[in-house]
Amino acid sequence: MVDHLFRHQYGKLVAILSKIFGLAHLELIEDAIQDTFLQASLKWREAQPDNPEAWLTQAAKNRAIDLMRQINAQRQRHEKTVHGAATLEINEYFLDHEVQDSQLRMLFVACHPGFSREEQIAFALKAISGFSMKEIAVALLQKDETIKKRLMRARKKIQELSITLDYPEPNEIDGRLSAVQQIIYLIFNEGFHSTKLNQLIDKDLCGEALRLCKLLLVKEQFRSGSLYALFGLLCFHASRLDSKVVDGKIVDLKHQDRSTWHFPLIVLGNDALNKAMLYSDQSIYHLEAGIAAEHIKAIKFENTNWQQIIDYYNEMFELMPSDSIRLSRAITYLQMERLADAKKELDSINAAAMSQRTYLLHGTYAEYYAKNGEPARALIAIDKAICTCTNSLEREYLEEKKAGMTRSS
Amino acid sequence: MMIFIGASYDELGLSPEEIQTQMGRWFAWGDKMKEQGILRGGAALYATAKRVSGPDRIESDGPFVESKELIGGYYTAAADSVEEAVKIAQDYPDYHLGGTVEIREVVKFDR
Repeated sequence: MVDHLFRHQYGKLVAILSKIFGLAHLELIEDAIQDTFLQASLKWREAQPDNPEAWLTQAAKNRAIDLMRQINAQRQRHEKTVHGAATLEINEYFLDHEVQDSQLRMLFVACHPGFSREEQIAFALKAISGFSMKEIAVALLQKDETIKKRLMRARKKIQELSITLDYPEPNEIDGRLSAVQQIIYLIFNEGFHSTKLNQLIDKDLCGEALRLCKLLLVKEQFRSGSLYALFGLLCFHASRLDSKVVDGKIVDLKHQDRSTWHFPLIVLGNDALNKAMLYSDQSIYHLEAGIAAEHIKAIKFENTNWQQIIDYYNEMFELMPSDSIRLSRAITYLQMERLADAKKELDSINAAAMSQRTYLLHGTYAEYYAKNGEPARALIAIDKAICTCTNSLEREYLEEKKAGMTRSS
Repeated sequence: MMIFIGASYDELGLSPEEIQTQMGRWFAWGDKMKEQGILRGGAALYATAKRVSGPDRIESDGPFVESKELIGGYYTAAADSVEEAVKIAQDYPDYHLGGTVEIREVVKFDR
């Protein structure tokens, strides 16, 4: 069977049925689809259908008719039977371009400004990507209960704000589109930058982000330089996904086996960046994709064009100053042996504001002190990094670094 | 006969992805037994049920047992011994979900 068929089918069916019946019935719709899958899991145990996707679609159509009865009954209308013509109408909604359209609308709904950022991500993963509450909790490193609350709040807001499955008004579409891109970016980063024990779910998150991006790119009206740049960026990062953690251990950029980077994704990313150049808009994604491209271009770590990367970071900083760009810049300066610049950059960072990522700051300080011939300070810094790091894989990586430092000092 | 006991996937709150994964494992197991030529039959059972009992044939609506004790289905397979049947049952896909396989020999009557 096709990988993730059920998960993707779930998102599709939620979108179609929401278009037919309205978002107000979302809960009913989600339960009905889940039930369709359970039925399939029982019925197929004896014999798998030749075309599982078609089977599920047919089951969902039948379910749609049931739902129509149920919803009509709720509205206390007298017509509890459904006319044959309704079946024809329902069929229309299952045509490919309609399905795509429904899913895109759902993506815009997920980014409704009435939702908080956290609610947007949780809602998108549930309603569009077919993740369960538990899977979202694992993916976002949150408690089940927290995710449950976020989803409930989002559903409540749909009712309160009477949110419908429509595209935003023309004057709002640009703003909403950039929110959609941010959500895709965040979903990808959740998968890419975290190193949880359950790596499968990380790959799934990255895959979903790529899929949603492709979904947007299908429609000409949503294409833009920033969207292509985002897609390119995600492709470049995704090409390194399998090389980042090997045998349960983190492998940093310097030590990754570059021959294992996934070439087709690199080509796809490159094409996307070329397309991005055809549009006039500029974005942070362009710059980030540029940095990712520099890493990909370098045959060996030593060949990296660090100066070009610093230039990109500087441009990024002008667009959107942040401590994490400062940190990236410091790390780059260290590679260039510009130690004083690195130190200046590190000292300008507000450690308290880094929250869970404080360990990265201490880790970089450790590297600076080691390079600057101050082993005692390096050890103190690496210990601080280890103390503040909550992820076991990352901590192991830091421990190994520390062991290396003690050996060489 | 292998009788499968455990909560339904609905009760366990499995995600679409997990349902698909479990289904794949059920297929693989069924196919393996078919290839070995030992599969004789089987069925999956819905959780909803009715009971008829006693001299007055009183009808009652399920569920009758705790969800984890629910019979979800069965397979019959050819095996020379109980030990061999236990071996066959190793591939049952729901152990990690708290499922159980009960193995019972089907009585054969002499004609």
